[in-house]
Amino acid sequence: MSDRGYFAGIDVGTSYIKVVIIDEKNKITGSFIDRTSPDLQKSIKNGYGKAVSSASIPNNAVKHVTATGFGRENVSFANSVVTEISSHAKGAHHYFPKKIIIVDIGGQDTKIIKIDSKGKIQGFKMNRKCAAGTGSFLEEIAYKLNIPMDEMNTLAAKSDKETALSSFCTVFASTEIITRIKEGEKIEDMVKGAFESIVRRVIEMDTLIGTVVITGGVVTYNDVILKILSKQFRKEILTPPKPQLSGAIGAALFAKEEKN
Amino acid sequence: MIEQFKQMEKKRHDYAKEWKGKNDGKVMGYFCTYVPEEILYAAGVLPVRILGSHEPQDVTEPHIFGMFCPFCRDCLAQGLKDRYKYLDGLMIAQSCLHIRQTYTSWIKHRPVEFNKFLCMPHKVQSPHAYEFLTEEYKVFKKEVEKWTGKKITDKDLEKAIEVYNENRRLMRKLYDLRKRDKPPLTGEQVMEVVMAMQMTDKAEHNKMLKDLLKKLDSYTPDRETGSRLMILGSEDDDTVFMNMVEESGATFVIDDHCTGSRYFWNEVEDGKDPLASIAARYINRVPCPSKDWEERKRIPHILNLCKEWKVDGAIIMQQKFCDPHELDFVAIKKSLEDAGIPTLFLEFDVTVPIGQFKIRVEAFLEMIGEEDLF
Repeated sequence: MSDRGYFAGIDVGTSYIKVVIIDEKNKITGSFIDRTSPDLQKSIKNGYGKAVSSASIPNNAVKHVTATGFGRENVSFANSVVTEISSHAKGAHHYFPKKIIIVDIGGQDTKIIKIDSKGKIQGFKMNRKCAAGTGSFLEEIAYKLNIPMDEMNTLAAKSDKETALSSFCTVFASTEIITRIKEGEKIEDMVKGAFESIVRRVIEMDTLIGTVVITGGVVTYNDVILKILSKQFRKEILTPPKPQLSGAIGAALFAKEEKN
Repeated sequence: MIEQFKQMEKKRHDYAKEWKGKNDGKVMGYFCTYVPEEILYAAGVLPVRILGSHEPQDVTEPHIFGMFCPFCRDCLAQGLKDRYKYLDGLMIAQSCLHIRQTYTSWIKHRPVEFNKFLCMPHKVQSPHAYEFLTEEYKVFKKEVEKWTGKKITDKDLEKAIEVYNENRRLMRKLYDLRKRDKPPLTGEQVMEVVMAMQMTDKAEHNKMLKDLLKKLDSYTPDRETGSRLMILGSEDDDTVFMNMVEESGATFVIDDHCTGSRYFWNEVEDGKDPLASIAARYINRVPCPSKDWEERKRIPHILNLCKEWKVDGAIIMQQKFCDPHELDFVAIKKSLEDAGIPTLFLEFDVTVPIGQFKIRVEAFLEMIGEEDLF
């Protein structure tokens, strides 16, 4: 087995660094996710090292490294770089090789990427100048409500009420939530309202007619998003097995293609 | 190659002040490219277009509504910060409400010797527009004569028209060179040439252009062309953005901007008399979207530019909140994409977030580049 090659994809996101190691058969043999710290170099090296050891392979078994994400240029040891639009298209197409619309909800970016049945990008959109409809929106609301991030999903799941917030703006939304809780609304209903706000912001970004695949960190930890989206569209919304790793998987697939 | 043009643009105020000293003439600041500069030039006045300085500022908030475009604020800031103190006159020819507010506020807070709101008709496609504008020009000519104390003869007008037309012809030649497989200038460089053009004496600009064209005749630049892009949309003099895109593996080969081709595309043709000929030129020119109705005449023109300059993709930019361009955006995007030209839409502010834009631009270039793989 020692002559087999491995390939790495590193997705340096605004909130998390995701590293994936794949083998010749595209099987994920190792991965690692860590929060992005101000010391990017250190986070990247640490994340990569942990991913390689989780694959139980020697360091030199990795034949090619491709970096993506906002910090892609900071991966000093990468053999190539690709934007996250291309890597997300690649990663999602790998699991769903057909005409799809990818909705990636990340820490500070939300992307909508339309690809055809061959995986070719038809067009893409990203949120502009504002982090409404992203993970940062949720983090801010959780902070204001003094609820740990990992309890938001469970809380929202308890609610069966639809409570539309009147603003997408993170700051105004949290003010509204606090005011409405003071007026007697239940916390779980308001938390679900925050998730609904993200979904509505995503929906208004583009026309989403066709098969929707959702990826990114937010949906990985908050499956309530999937339920809200399915309900809105009255259809099943697809998601790959490891939605947060989608961009890194795409980058790793690029690495393999380039090497071969 | 274009250093001289760049210096003129960067030191626009020094240029105008020096011109004033040398020629003992008046300088007219103007907004929007519908101002009939030929009439001013015939009277010995130097028209200079007012553009912003791309710096954050804190002086316009009380005077301009929050959802007016950043360009009109940036321009007003120049006035309120007294950077154009040397102006003798200020004028606008009606284009959009946002920039009109800049004009109105400016003359209120920084009065000038002579100011003029020229009623440029909105519906240029009306059969009466041409006659209306000719009559407006007659009034305007008299006002300028009274202001400068100089009679403007038909001969003066014809001379001015010739200088302006030569400028337009030379610019079209320069743009033709960008059809080459290896365009001799980048879009950023061309932007500098156009900006200088809007702020300097056209006779001088003509001389410089002739020199430049001679130099470019057999010149091949030492850079890869990459994807051939068009940029179109609102007022745009953001050279920082142009540079970022062109450093990412692309070249802007053509534009549809009022700080670009729209400004000089059409010449004044011989008509009944000089004023009528000038009026016909401004009625029939490639329109700003504020005037491009009911038929959208700009779209076939844009598609033709794409074809002739062999464009791989188009960046549609607009100043945030620019209503006329927002009106056109949907139709233009669809027409371009129907013609097989991918588009990227970006919204500009006084300063642009280069990091955020870079990701979009690089992804767009990857998307265009993919064409070759399939």
